[in-house]
Amino acid sequence: MKEFLRNTWQHRALVVLALPVFLIMLFINYIPMSGLVLAFENFDYTKGIFGSPLIGLDNFKFLLQSKDVFQRMLKNTLMYYVIFTALGQFLNVVLAIAIDQFAHKRFGKYMQTVMIMPVFVSYAAVQFIVMAYLNSGTGIINNLLGGSIPFYRKPEYWPTILTIVKMWNGVGYGSVLYMSVLAGIDTSLYEAARIDGANKWHEIRHITLPSLIPMITVMLLLSVGGIMHSDTGLFYQVTRHTSALLSTTEVIDSYVLNAISKNSNFGFTAAATFFQSVVGLLLMLFANFLVNRISPENALF
Amino acid sequence: MTTNIHDIHHKQKFRWGQLVLGICLFLFTMFCLLPILLVIISAFTAETEINSTGFTYFPKQWSMDGMNAVLRYGSQLRQSYLITISVTVLGTFFGLLVMSMFAYSISRKDFKLKGFLSVYLLIPMLFSGGQLSAYIFFSKYYGLKDTLAVLILPLCVSTMNVIILRTYIHSSIPDELMEAAKIDGAGEYRTFFQITLPLMKPSLAAVGFMMATAYWNDWQNAFLFIDKAELKPLQLLLINIQKSIETLLNNKNIPSSALQAMGNAVPQYSATMATVIVVVGPVIIAYPFFQKYFIKGLTVGSVKG
Repeated sequence: MKEFLRNTWQHRALVVLALPVFLIMLFINYIPMSGLVLAFENFDYTKGIFGSPLIGLDNFKFLLQSKDVFQRMLKNTLMYYVIFTALGQFLNVVLAIAIDQFAHKRFGKYMQTVMIMPVFVSYAAVQFIVMAYLNSGTGIINNLLGGSIPFYRKPEYWPTILTIVKMWNGVGYGSVLYMSVLAGIDTSLYEAARIDGANKWHEIRHITLPSLIPMITVMLLLSVGGIMHSDTGLFYQVTRHTSALLSTTEVIDSYVLNAISKNSNFGFTAAATFFQSVVGLLLMLFANFLVNRISPENALF
Repeated sequence: MTTNIHDIHHKQKFRWGQLVLGICLFLFTMFCLLPILLVIISAFTAETEINSTGFTYFPKQWSMDGMNAVLRYGSQLRQSYLITISVTVLGTFFGLLVMSMFAYSISRKDFKLKGFLSVYLLIPMLFSGGQLSAYIFFSKYYGLKDTLAVLILPLCVSTMNVIILRTYIHSSIPDELMEAAKIDGAGEYRTFFQITLPLMKPSLAAVGFMMATAYWNDWQNAFLFIDKAELKPLQLLLINIQKSIETLLNNKNIPSSALQAMGNAVPQYSATMATVIVVVGPVIIAYPFFQKYFIKGLTVGSVKG
């Protein structure tokens, strides 16, 4: 202990260098953690977090009783997580392999630049692009079909629409990581395979894919920690938080954001947030445990 | 002879495969590009045409009305640009500075406190108080409502970015360099600012670009904490566009002759798309210049040091 203190004093300059981030994280991340106690309170804004009366588990009872609301957003959160992760990872890998196999490197590079671009368009802007396609009077899709489908009043279309938007947004960007793995494959492996008479399919199946599997596994496992969180902009902005669409588009994050902005239902929201944080922590620990067993160098801790 | 034939056969098949592959990649590229193209085209399409026959890739009537309306009469737009640029620049530079200081600190091997600091850095990635609690703390206890700080502070430090910077120090800056500086009598501060920080440039460019994009595109903090018009960033303007366009094109700001030229009405659709261009454009234009760096940053971030 004495030695530890001496070492710290000796390196006081390093302590000073670390101090700004330490303080910012203290105020932005750590102190607000105490706000989870809100889930057990009947919150009153004027009395504050530490002055509002405790009411035990009432908020959670309320959460579980309001079956349609909570169950609906939990179901949507999980459903979109599964679709986005499964399809997203699949397309990321396919695209990375496709660009890697494409012989015209320069042309491939230009195309990749365009494919990454959508990730930089904010969802606040994406909503207008989606509208230009789907609006019932002026939208391109309706004009092409010659009909008039009121997309903004038909929740059944939105899982497909949001999936397309999400893939448009993220696949180009997501493939970059896998491309860097592919660039690292020893080319002599391919040469050896070719001498043995392997064609492209054999090469991809027996060399390319196996070398991507560790990274795919790690990315999948790490994403498990984020199950409870969604891309808020996608669900809140792109759907314009239209109430007719909520049955298939409301996720926990967008519900919470809406509740805060409307100053309503704090007890219910606090319970939902508590659930989100605790389940998120458990899943993250579990995922990290698995990564540690499979590929320790990629584990978070 | 047989190998030769086999070779030719192989090559021919190879080319067909390349053609199909090229077409598929090109189609996906178009899928990515077309929505962005639609924004640009419709910003310059005559409002009457959009109103009567809808959005189109091939307008018969081009027009500058939307762009003109937004640029010429948008004093709020100018103010919002100023806010977004200030927040992006201040936040990115401040964030890079404090994060690289922290990364340097926890990369020193003989520093015993680094174990604690690393854990301290990691915990927020696993556990958070959630949006609601952050909202109450920021607005009630820190008094951050309607301040620039609320747009800057929540995004300026992230665990992942510190890890990227630390990994870069570990992997690309030789320890001997910093030890040599110390032997020459440089203190910890001088070593960091004069030796380490300049050598971190590639990783700073990568992280800096990602941060700048996050700042530029952030709407959530503004949505929750900003009410004052003079503090509204671009994204918030975009979210409230229907209202914004009305205020933007507040009739008293527009000379009646100009309004008449626009057909006595505000060009709603084309002006909206023009605003989208003005808001999204800078990032899209800047990105190809940073592509090299940020691809590297993305790659480094995935490998723990």
